Amino acid sequence: MDLSLLADPVFLAQNIVDGVSRGALYAVYALGFTLIFGVLDIINLAHAATFMWCAFAGWIVMSQLGLPLPAGLAVSMLAGAGVAALLELLAFRPLRREGSDRLSSMISSIGASLIMVSIAEAVFGVNTRRFPDSVLDPRPFFLGGSAGVRVSRAQILTIAAAFLLTLALGLFIRRTRMGKAIRAIAADQSASRLLGIDVDAVVIVTFLVAGALAGAAGILVGLLTNNIVPGMGAQIELRGLAVVILGGMGSIEGAALGGLILGLVETFAIAYLPGGSDIKDAIAFLILLLILLVRPYGILGHRTSDRA
Amino acid sequence: MRRSDLPRILPWAVVLAIVGGDAALCARSPGDLDRFLINAILALSAFATLHARMLSLASAGFMAIGAYTSAILAVKVGLPVALSVPCALLLCGIVALVIGLPVLRLSDVYLAICTLGFGEVVRILIVLLPGLTGGPTGANLSTGFPYDAMRKTSPAMIALFLGLLIYLFWSLSRSKTGRAFRAIRERPEAASTMGIDVVAHRSMAFLLSAIIAGAAGAFYAHSVGSLDNGDFRFTRAVDVLSYAVVGGAGQWFGPLLGAGLLTALPILLRDSLGASIGFLRDFAQLPNILTGLALLLVVVFLPGGLVQSFPRRTMPHAGRGARPGTQSGDVPSVEHAGPGAPSARGETPLLAVRDLSRVFGGVEALRDVSLRLEEGRIYGLIGPNGAGKTTFINLVSGLDSPSSGRIIWQGREIQGRPPHRIARAGLARTYQSMRLFAEMSVLENVIVGHHARIRTNVLTTWLRLPRERAEEAAAREEASRLLAHLGLSELADLAAGTLAYGDQRRVEIARALALRPRLLLLDEPAAGMNEVETERLGRFLIDLKGKGYTLIVVEHHMDLIMGVCDQIVVLNFGRTIAEGTPAEVAGNERVREAYLGRD
Repeated sequence: MDLSLLADPVFLAQNIVDGVSRGALYAVYALGFTLIFGVLDIINLAHAATFMWCAFAGWIVMSQLGLPLPAGLAVSMLAGAGVAALLELLAFRPLRREGSDRLSSMISSIGASLIMVSIAEAVFGVNTRRFPDSVLDPRPFFLGGSAGVRVSRAQILTIAAAFLLTLALGLFIRRTRMGKAIRAIAADQSASRLLGIDVDAVVIVTFLVAGALAGAAGILVGLLTNNIVPGMGAQIELRGLAVVILGGMGSIEGAALGGLILGLVETFAIAYLPGGSDIKDAIAFLILLLILLVRPYGILGHRTSDRA
Repeated sequence: MRRSDLPRILPWAVVLAIVGGDAALCARSPGDLDRFLINAILALSAFATLHARMLSLASAGFMAIGAYTSAILAVKVGLPVALSVPCALLLCGIVALVIGLPVLRLSDVYLAICTLGFGEVVRILIVLLPGLTGGPTGANLSTGFPYDAMRKTSPAMIALFLGLLIYLFWSLSRSKTGRAFRAIRERPEAASTMGIDVVAHRSMAFLLSAIIAGAAGAFYAHSVGSLDNGDFRFTRAVDVLSYAVVGGAGQWFGPLLGAGLLTALPILLRDSLGASIGFLRDFAQLPNILTGLALLLVVVFLPGGLVQSFPRRTMPHAGRGARPGTQSGDVPSVEHAGPGAPSARGETPLLAVRDLSRVFGGVEALRDVSLRLEEGRIYGLIGPNGAGKTTFINLVSGLDSPSSGRIIWQGREIQGRPPHRIARAGLARTYQSMRLFAEMSVLENVIVGHHARIRTNVLTTWLRLPRERAEEAAAREEASRLLAHLGLSELADLAAGTLAYGDQRRVEIARALALRPRLLLLDEPAAGMNEVETERLGRFLIDLKGKGYTLIVVEHHMDLIMGVCDQIVVLNFGRTIAEGTPAEVAGNERVREAYLGRD
């Protein structure tokens, strides 16, 4: 470890900014993921592939058609919602017939994910794509002079989006009529059906919302990393799971908090540990193992039936 | 069509087509033989976990560990394959324990989540150790001295190993361990309350799966002769999973069929269609898309995989409810001795519950409930829906842990102990929503109750010693006798899931009795029974009491409760609101208000 780096306040502040924005991205991704888990007890392993397709949808709109960022974001969120709803219809709804066997729905989502990624590879190839600079000015702001902390517009946008989306999703679930129906289904699906709630319709709405969140994350990752490839889902999939378990499965605020923690830990490991950038992809796994060992229901989760 | 010969012929046709197709492909290009054999081994690795209702995506990671370890030991240290492969398997086993132990005591999804990233971490390690592994550029084994010798022996060795594995799974499937795995696969909770240590079985299965995948990796390394960490990507793990899912994890040969089919399919498709549809020839994603489609379609349309369509050993002859149980008015009885007279334990009650509470995320399902059970009596536990009755049963049987309070069984605290130990200590239970092992025969369901008493181990199973067969036969005979006394003999060979509702309830009680318990916890035993059946059940419960059993009966059926119970406890909103004899409880004003009045 380079001790001189520890004493450098600008370097520290820079890493906090980078870590928080990276964490904000993970949070937005994990919001949709945890929503589906919390409501349906389903681990949707095709959420990452949805996210990847959204990024490509944004790329088509902004790079190929030359439309501005708001259009890209809108199309990406719509695409995500559509893909997620399709997943529900093809991969999850048929399995809800006889109670939910969580393993079968995981397997069907793995199958769906493999198909989605393979098609993307066939269509887009393996080259890295990026959004054009024209959609968002890539020049960063400097806090404290040109030798100070760099903050890009993409970072500000990501942090703001994570904050607003967490807040909005929380309000939607707690305050709206649809949110109430979603919570009822989360608590007891068959009882909700008896109470006259159209379970299938509410589930579709849940998937639409989760898919739209994947769409937002797809745009943000494109802006932050300039690295859009068919395999990008695989890079965020395990991180999403780690974030969701860290925060407590199904917890919206937990996903935001978990994302923040993972983003900061990864950024600091890269900055301060020798070989940190080599192991950055393993950090999520280590956090996952650790949290399962000490507090499997997560930081904000409740201890329920997590035993075998 | 159901009655025709087609269902009997079709499975054999499928097997023949797959085996024949694979053999033809291997004959055409003998180099493919290794691949088919290795994929078959991988399929059995996936079977080991899926058969215990675990989803593991670690196969690619363990394959990589096995491949690199064996290759490095062979090439850099110069060990012969006969030593390098076992060393690689040892390492796989150790790693499996390290990542498995924290996860396997949790519910089933966590293993999938945890193993999802495992392969990627192994690949990172491979890249980080370029001196040993060749790093991202890979390792070429052919420069090493022992390589040529190894390559020649490879196919025969792989086939021998596969043969041993098949024998292992075949003999396991016929042992009590195999029965335990089938029980876990169908109903993990019910298996645990039948005295089966689910966590231990799953740990064993995961360990076995890791070692088998490691072996496949080692053979792969010595067969291909060069290694690249790209060989062990996540899609490899998904391929392996698809073998077991498509073939079916209910029987050991299912995954072998799945591997045979899915290994051959892309080759055949490319060969047959590639000539006419040029685009398919260079379509690199075709195998992955096929795998994905196969997973999706099989899970949705054929959840048990290919083997699901095969006839079973115990073919159910009748549809649901087609066969009634004993129609005579005889009260079934239990002949075997039962617990007998109360043990001379002085003042120690059989079961004492003190201030038991259970809070679910802020909601108190149970609050400060205390109870004292004397031996040889029947206790009723009643209350409106949501009163905490099932929570109470779950706590006592160990499926759930209390937030506070103590459960004392024959003088020993048992709260928080795993369910299988509580079951073995003499507490048996049934379930409100029945949890029979639906695909097993009625007789097998009851034999599961003998699990803890059959003293075979892995060794006797693999060697198929006479003692094991004798014990199995004894268990079978005792279970048959129990069924006979309960008037269930006629149903013994039927798949439990095909029985009528009331019969299933009686089989659940038979299964619980097979544990030879002292205390029987019955969660709504009369639900779904008609009046005649309920009355007979009542007499049967009194007969059980006469044999020395102690019972706790949760029921909504007031006639039954009032007719058989010596003592009744009434719960409402998680609290005890009344306790006493049936007459006392029936006359209690608070009970009328909370319960009877609403009925």
